[in-house]
Amino acid sequence: MNEAEEKRMEAALRGIVPAQPPADLMARLAAAKPAPQIRRASGARRASARPAWFPLWRWLIPATAVVMAGLACWRLNLISAWHSQPMVAAVTGPKLKADEVQIDRQLISAFDAVGKLPDGEPVRYHCQEWMDKVELRDTSRGLVVQQSTPRLEVMPVNFETY
Amino acid sequence: MNSGWDNETPKQAVWERWLAEHTAGFLLFARQQTRCEADAQDLVQEAVVESWQRQAANDPPPLALVFATIRRRAVDLARSAERRANREAATFIEAAPCWFDSSAEERERNQLIQEAMQSLPEIYRVVITLKVWGGLSFPEIAVALEIPANTAASRYRYGLAELRALRSEVFA
Repeated sequence: MNEAEEKRMEAALRGIVPAQPPADLMARLAAAKPAPQIRRASGARRASARPAWFPLWRWLIPATAVVMAGLACWRLNLISAWHSQPMVAAVTGPKLKADEVQIDRQLISAFDAVGKLPDGEPVRYHCQEWMDKVELRDTSRGLVVQQSTPRLEVMPVNFETY
Repeated sequence: MNSGWDNETPKQAVWERWLAEHTAGFLLFARQQTRCEADAQDLVQEAVVESWQRQAANDPPPLALVFATIRRRAVDLARSAERRANREAATFIEAAPCWFDSSAEERERNQLIQEAMQSLPEIYRVVITLKVWGGLSFPEIAVALEIPANTAASRYRYGLAELRALRSEVFA
């Protein structure tokens, strides 16, 4: 079928009119004004009545809340950092590197003491008073740490062994 | 009455004029897609309203959109109404609507064309219907049927050839 025949046949078909829709269908369609369209139209009218900066206003409240929360967090961090600054310096400072350690003990005194048990039996105690010393040196920083601790040793001694 | 239209009378007039101009084509297409007249009319109403609602402005929707909506809804209807198939088929046989205007003197000729159209393969029938009575171009048919425009054009030509072969006495 060539193009001329196609055109002629198309014209013939166009001459055939589709059946008219029933009146009740047309009435239904005419009554079916699109409701969402109405809502959209009224919404658009409301939007057009608002000032141009109104969309920014919608974001202002949540944005303000976020900014205030951020400021509060920043201020809390600032305060806690200020309070903990000395401790942080002590903790985070360089640790003591003891390259020389001396442990010493010194006898201060030694004596015997006699006591009695509850049943009246005599007991003798040999007592020694010591001073324990620990000395740490960090030669690179010239730091010396000394600790002295007194210590008392008490040993019971039987009279028989004596 | 507060209808929500800024200017109700012109919009209503546009709506009714658009309906009067195109509803016959919509109904013809819907009748080809459904098993009974009631379904076809419901389909047209739902598709027209849905297509109009999709429009951002208050302008009438594109014809291709309405035809595509009719076709999509017809497919959905055919799937969901499988249980009613036999009853609707019986209804279709009893009260098959006239696709074309039967009030004219060429009633017999129109009946022959309808029978030929009904015997055409659907892929040809829908393209011819949309082109001739829907007033769509091939690109618009391509959009409505989700096929390439070249395919629509070739189906149209094959369909016309087959239609003429079926009714050579009419298109002599």
